[in-house]
Amino acid sequence: MNIDYIKYSLQNLMHRKLRSWLTIISILIGITAIFALVSFGQGLRNYVDILASEMGTDKIMVIPITGLSLDENFYLTKEDFDFLKKIKGVEEGAVMYAAGAQVEFEKKKKYVFGVGMPSEGNEKRLIKDMLTIDMSKGRELKKDDKLKIVMGYNYQIPNKLFSKKINVGDKIKINDKEVDVIGFYEEVGNPSDDSQVYFTLEGFEEVFPEKKNKYQYVILKAAPGESSIELADKIKEKLRKFKGQDKGKEDFIVQSFDQVVQTFTTILDVINGILVLIALISLVVAAVNIMNTMYTSVLERTKEIGVMKAIGAKNNDILFIFVFESGVLGMIGGILGVILGYIIAKIGGLIAAANGYAILQPAFPLWLIIGCIIFAFMIGAGSGLLPAKQASSLKPVDALRYE
Amino acid sequence: MLKDFFSIAFSSLRKRELRSILTMIGIFIGIAAIISLIGLGEGLRNAISSLFGDLGVDVLTVQAGGVQAGPPGTGVINPLSIDDAEKIGKIAGVKESIPRLVRSGRMEFNDKQIIAYVGSMVDGDARKEIERIANVEADTGRLLKDGDKYKVVVGGSYKNDDKFGKPINIGTRIKVEGKVFEVIGIAKKKGNPILDNVILMNEDVMREIFNDKKKVDIIAVVVKDKDEISNVKDSIEKLLRKQRDVKEGEEDFSVETPENTIKTLEDTLFAVQLFVYIIAGISLLVGGIGIMNTMYTSVVERTKDIGIMKSIGARNNNIFTIFLIESGCLGMVGGLIGILIGVGIAKSLAYIGGLILSSNLIQANFSPFLIIGSLIFSFMIGTIAGITPAIQASKLKPVDALRYAK
Repeated sequence: MNIDYIKYSLQNLMHRKLRSWLTIISILIGITAIFALVSFGQGLRNYVDILASEMGTDKIMVIPITGLSLDENFYLTKEDFDFLKKIKGVEEGAVMYAAGAQVEFEKKKKYVFGVGMPSEGNEKRLIKDMLTIDMSKGRELKKDDKLKIVMGYNYQIPNKLFSKKINVGDKIKINDKEVDVIGFYEEVGNPSDDSQVYFTLEGFEEVFPEKKNKYQYVILKAAPGESSIELADKIKEKLRKFKGQDKGKEDFIVQSFDQVVQTFTTILDVINGILVLIALISLVVAAVNIMNTMYTSVLERTKEIGVMKAIGAKNNDILFIFVFESGVLGMIGGILGVILGYIIAKIGGLIAAANGYAILQPAFPLWLIIGCIIFAFMIGAGSGLLPAKQASSLKPVDALRYE
Repeated sequence: MLKDFFSIAFSSLRKRELRSILTMIGIFIGIAAIISLIGLGEGLRNAISSLFGDLGVDVLTVQAGGVQAGPPGTGVINPLSIDDAEKIGKIAGVKESIPRLVRSGRMEFNDKQIIAYVGSMVDGDARKEIERIANVEADTGRLLKDGDKYKVVVGGSYKNDDKFGKPINIGTRIKVEGKVFEVIGIAKKKGNPILDNVILMNEDVMREIFNDKKKVDIIAVVVKDKDEISNVKDSIEKLLRKQRDVKEGEEDFSVETPENTIKTLEDTLFAVQLFVYIIAGISLLVGGIGIMNTMYTSVVERTKDIGIMKSIGARNNNIFTIFLIESGCLGMVGGLIGILIGVGIAKSLAYIGGLILSSNLIQANFSPFLIIGSLIFSFMIGTIAGITPAIQASKLKPVDALRYAK
């Protein structure tokens, strides 16, 4: 019996093809927007998750209180680092330098971040774990590479930073010191990271002598079995005492990677949430459109409803027919919206990658696809409910008499 | 004649009251969303422009090249010096060349510490200029004057602030980088988070506590005649090229006009706004489709009416106009309601935002252009959506139309 109702509903939709299509388009548009927006948000979250799992949750970061700024007034010293390494529960540690660097190539100058990092032993491995990028060309930095540098991906591409591309073996100037380029990293996917230049710690001290023993990052690895969040608290307490600072007056921040990732994900979710909310407005409008279409449909078919009731259709049957009809409108809109959203997000991802933001890639988890379609169905069915109620409560006699 | 058309359109809209209202809801939601977003966005943009607009059109800022991460002057390779500032001061057309230091420093009060930007004030006549440029006015107490050692003026947000658990007043002693300072003034709150949180002190004492003799983070250059600003800019660039031994096109410093500084910020803001508007605009598109749908239905329902009108002499044109007026009205009335609601939403959001942030940075701003523009826009959406249904109606053959059974 239900099959008949379904058939009847679908026939009606086909019968009013133009109106059905217009209604479907209106819901399709909203679903497209939401699907595309969420897929980008999800892509970024995936990226963060992968990064987090590669880095491992046992890492703890100690940075100056000014964060990742290059403020000269705040830094961590060699003594701080030596102390941190000795804290119980810390397995190993490594430091990194950072400074503004002036890269000069073919008489043109660019200002980028210069990074100094350890080039041997456990420290090198620890930093490598954290950076999670491979070489795309040339070789890594190793011990005694003093005036040799590895560069970010973008230097290999003409017209990104310099009009000509830089090759392995080229000589360039950094802060007026001549250095050899020995390799390039893979693409990270954001213009700032892909323009960095990397030194060994010793090389960095040579080029930026005023920065010697003023570290911008300390990375610590928790010993197996240690909770990194608890350890981070302990480290904060100990380093504070070591530096002779009062509680609340620390000039450094200790954060486990877990916390960093959580903060970042929260921000991401908030931004994504706001965008989806704005996109939802169009779905509200679409719902109103569906309601409108359904009211019209009820009006047009008043006589039919009368006939159906006269030959024994129950209120519930009529209700089902109309709700199903509007639900189908919503669902078709949802399916088409997901397809269109997929295409748009893909194109958007290509455009982002072409502009140096390769990390901005959409992801399409199954729940998103199914969720969007179900959501569209529910909007359809939900907005059809009132008109369907009206239809089902028509009195057969009145309905038959209706002109 | 046209009057009759309007009355036909209105009476048929009224006859299908529910449908007309639902269709209009579609439009007014979209218009309300756009109006409120644009209103708030424009307000924000005005606020930002006016914050930086206070810089005045007669000021150039000179900075050394570098990666800016933190206050001006961080991450530079070859910093500017007092010497540079003095030499710039001698260029013809320059009224004042004001060197400034901006650093992050530890500020302590009531046993709590925060990191705040500390900015230097210059001695002499240039002090008035920098107060004007930085837009500093005393709210309570006074501003700094020459010879004020270990005295500071703090930004407007320190007043009634519970950051330290205790209010900062005139005469309060705070510590900056471990040295005790007396607060002699609190600046008026301007809504700019950087300026409202800054700590101002005289240059000599700032150099002392930050242990820096010569470096300069940023030089503000006030020109005598604002029409000469680009010439002065060229002269400064020429001088600094010579000072720093670089050729043209290889500069490791920048001399920027205030417009330039604001422009980058505005461009970014605009891109973000545009994105949001487009997403909100989608709902208008959906609303337009709703109108089209209603109009098609309307044409089908009134096929017989159209047949009768045609048989008693109505031309295709007349029929077309009637339906177009109808859909245009749907759009415009929807737009009108949408504007009212949108203005209401934006005003209340701005009010709530103002209460939460206790600053007047968020203001809803509605230019007449925006109001009239969206009214015209909603009318156009209505008419455009109505065009194809109206054409369909006008092309009906009278005989077929009359024969058409409901």
